[in-house]
Amino acid sequence: MNMKKRHIFLALLLSLSLNFSWAQTPKGSVLIKNGTVLTVTNGTYENTDVLIQDGIIKKIGQNLSAPSGVTTIDATGKYVMPGIIDAHSHVALDVVNEATSPIVAEVRMKDVVNPFEIGIYRALAGGVTISHAMHGSANVVGGQNATLKHRWGMDDPAEIIMQDAPRTIKFALGENPTRVHGRGNGQQPRSRMGVEAILRNGFNEALQYKKAWEDYNKAKSQKGSTAIAPIYNERLQTLADILDGKIIIHCHSYRADEIYMLINVARDFGIKKLVFQHTNEGFKVAPEIAEYTMGASVFADWWAYKFEVYYSTAFNAAILQKNGAITSINSDSAELIRHLYHEAAKTQRYGGLTDEEALAMITINPAKQLGIEDKVGSLEEGKQGDVVIFEGHPLSSYAIPQMTFVDGIKYFDIKEDADDQRQRISPTEAVEPILLSEEDHRCMQDTEHLFETASALFQMNQ
Amino acid sequence: MRKTLWKASLFGLFMMGFFSGVSVHAQSDPTGKKSITNTYAITNAMVHSSPGAEGKKASILIKDGVILGVGENLSIPAEAKVIAGDSLHVYAGFIDAASRAGITRPEDPERPKDFVYSSPPDEIAGITPWRSAVDQFDIESSQVNDLRKAGFTMAHVLPDGGMIPGKGALVVLGDSESTNVLKTNTALAANLNGARGMYPGTTVGVMAKFRDVYQNTKLTKERMALFASNNGVSRPEINPTYTAMSEVVDRAIPVFFEVEDDLEVRRALSLQKELGFQLVLFGLEEYESVIDVLKGSGAGVLLKLQIPDDKAIKNQKEDVSDAVKAQYERVKEAYDKTIAQAGKLAAAGVPFAFSTIGAKPNDAMKAMQTMIESGLTEKDALAALTTNAANIIGASRIAGTVENGKLANLVLSTGPIFDAESQIKHVIVDGKVFDYEIKAKKKNGNGDTASVEVAGNWEYKSETPAGSSGGTITIQKNGNGYEGTITYDDPAGSGKASSTLSDIAVSGSTLSFVFEVNAGGMSIAVDVSGDVSGNTMDGSMNISQFGSFPISATRNPN
Repeated sequence: MNMKKRHIFLALLLSLSLNFSWAQTPKGSVLIKNGTVLTVTNGTYENTDVLIQDGIIKKIGQNLSAPSGVTTIDATGKYVMPGIIDAHSHVALDVVNEATSPIVAEVRMKDVVNPFEIGIYRALAGGVTISHAMHGSANVVGGQNATLKHRWGMDDPAEIIMQDAPRTIKFALGENPTRVHGRGNGQQPRSRMGVEAILRNGFNEALQYKKAWEDYNKAKSQKGSTAIAPIYNERLQTLADILDGKIIIHCHSYRADEIYMLINVARDFGIKKLVFQHTNEGFKVAPEIAEYTMGASVFADWWAYKFEVYYSTAFNAAILQKNGAITSINSDSAELIRHLYHEAAKTQRYGGLTDEEALAMITINPAKQLGIEDKVGSLEEGKQGDVVIFEGHPLSSYAIPQMTFVDGIKYFDIKEDADDQRQRISPTEAVEPILLSEEDHRCMQDTEHLFETASALFQMNQ
Repeated sequence: MRKTLWKASLFGLFMMGFFSGVSVHAQSDPTGKKSITNTYAITNAMVHSSPGAEGKKASILIKDGVILGVGENLSIPAEAKVIAGDSLHVYAGFIDAASRAGITRPEDPERPKDFVYSSPPDEIAGITPWRSAVDQFDIESSQVNDLRKAGFTMAHVLPDGGMIPGKGALVVLGDSESTNVLKTNTALAANLNGARGMYPGTTVGVMAKFRDVYQNTKLTKERMALFASNNGVSRPEINPTYTAMSEVVDRAIPVFFEVEDDLEVRRALSLQKELGFQLVLFGLEEYESVIDVLKGSGAGVLLKLQIPDDKAIKNQKEDVSDAVKAQYERVKEAYDKTIAQAGKLAAAGVPFAFSTIGAKPNDAMKAMQTMIESGLTEKDALAALTTNAANIIGASRIAGTVENGKLANLVLSTGPIFDAESQIKHVIVDGKVFDYEIKAKKKNGNGDTASVEVAGNWEYKSETPAGSSGGTITIQKNGNGYEGTITYDDPAGSGKASSTLSDIAVSGSTLSFVFEVNAGGMSIAVDVSGDVSGNTMDGSMNISQFGSFPISATRNPN
């Protein structure tokens, strides 16, 4: 080998090893044979095979054969559906609320993703492959969320963050932000009017901020410029990014009036990427939601846990859907996330949706709301290999997820997995502490220090 | 609240000492503490000059705080005080690369009337980069004594406070008459802890705020440069935060970031990658999964000098179901992995050192021995305590090895330093000799079978800065273990209070237990550990945040 060749060879080796240490997220190959394939977007096929290669759905059809080295799984008598997507979750976050200001657009939930939280595995056991790890609802404008892929067993938080998902941000209207800031601490917003004022003032400030930087950058490009840089403010920069269509808003909301208010604010500022969360009174403004937004992500049948959610109906999802709004059903809970397929099935009892419409509520519709519908949310060739195999139809009360795949890699197997799936064990705790109330409603977690009185603490859920 | 009480009594004690000192001693040396000579010779000792170097019989000459010679045939000047080193092993003094020994957190300033929690003043929100550890450091603190007694001669002290507490300083743990300062403005301390009830309240907020402070420091510097060299430029707003952060942005000093586990390591590293500052990570306890990441990051690494409590393993019961047994097994596995981490980190080629923040210096050697038993080589262990630490804090020119011209910071032990039987006899700091009592080790083999009997009624006395106090310790056998109570002067004012003892353990001749004192509505843990011999016990009482104090007890024969 001459010197030149050797150098090239070494460089190649080096680049290989570099690639290795900056490894791409793991991707697998598998052939799932002979199942009932619920594609959600293209109908249902019996006795059909799904071939995933290198993390991507390569082929859906009959009598496919496994390329060499690819494992085959017999799904005879079982149902194969796309991985379930939860558009509202707080699983795998070390912090949920930076509650200390009415706008905290600058905070990033990606900074506090915890890939060791057992909730991820529990979600996988419920067939959920993607969750939207959201900031809480203590602020009018909360932090930027993280869209997670449930790759259980990763050490690096970056490897469970869906890196090709667009940016999203949490907004919140109504009782939570007014309670934390107005009633709890005597700051704006004290009322729904205050919430709107915070939003409009925030966006106007963001426009000024954007202009100040544009002016500065323009001036700076001139020779001999003595232009002074504006103050750096990631909070306003993030709001400006929303105005520029770079971020999808996911807004915690309940009442029709506040939903309609935000639609108007969004229209005034030219914002099109907007999804409503919870949206219990969405059924009253369903046509408006359908026309101006990316739809609503709702509970199947949660209501009456506080004043602003008394006027609710289990028909909400179906009404929104029939009005043409993109509608999804979410969990907002580490417990509900384990059986979102049951939650979706409730739209058949309350609204008579078809199987495909009901399944869309937990697959392709939340994918659309997260801006990832071109990658996941249905079983289609070319999409990412996120798949669940069910014993029993997923909308049946007797459905039990058997295996869950993300990017063609199996992360859950009801038969083969060890009983103890914890990744991190404390060396100093004989029995891990179990907190009975911790797993539910984390929307208002980490806000405790802002409340002085026990009564305020008492009302903090959701 | 309790802290204030303690401080008041501390102050009283110091004042007493001060007055009595003045009355007794002669005018030429009003303190009476000045040593007769500043020249010392350690003769014929086993000198371990650097990590990995073979021990060699040699003498060491010290004058005015500097090592003047190390060798076999040194001529010893007449004024030298000789320390016979014949049975002693000499090592370079240990260096605590991130310490809060002797540091007292300043009181939080009062909130202004127009306080707004969403945009608090920096000082209240814990952003105080202009503060210096020197202003918070007290060489006479018992924490400093504890650290020195454990062989540490130099500490990189960091201030205590909020997310950016301030600047560190390099000190020797020397004479109480000196400032002991080697260098101020060594590093910026930072952590991920939020302020309470205001912005930034959590780790996400802290990370966002850190970016904000950093970027605006950068921009302020640009504006200042423009203002300094041009007319017609508006006055840039200069504030103490940006001024003090400026050296960090210039990469003139590193950020010492406090992190506990792998996730926090990654968080600090992500800030570093984004912003570009120099980084030293300190306080690591759980880091096995990021050893490669640490290696590739170029950041300095300081492990917390502590091993986890093994009581969760010791308390495991025999008579349990298979499912519980499997869980026990995982706890044991987690424990074994934790204590083996340091060895793996060293094997991966990461030259780490230690931080004692949050650790007990009294247990430092035990922690080192455990790490060594779990795979850390003695060479790497010593390097972590000496040369690596000196490198990370930029002091290798003056410290870390036993060499001509280096500061006279030495540890003299009765045997090889990491042997369980060895004890530290002298610690020399800055040329000043501190002597420690050598206790006769009891020969009781190993294992609990030879443990001493500790049950009974004990009368104890303890010396704290608040004065001497005492009470009764009652210990009874309960099954395989013990239960008991302790009485003490009620911190609320009058009479005696009592607490239940927990974690009572006997290992060889050592009795240890923990109790909680309730003072001013806060509960504070007191760790007691002592050597039992017949009906007497001698040991120390460790009170979190305040250091450790001697305790002695005698058993009532009945």
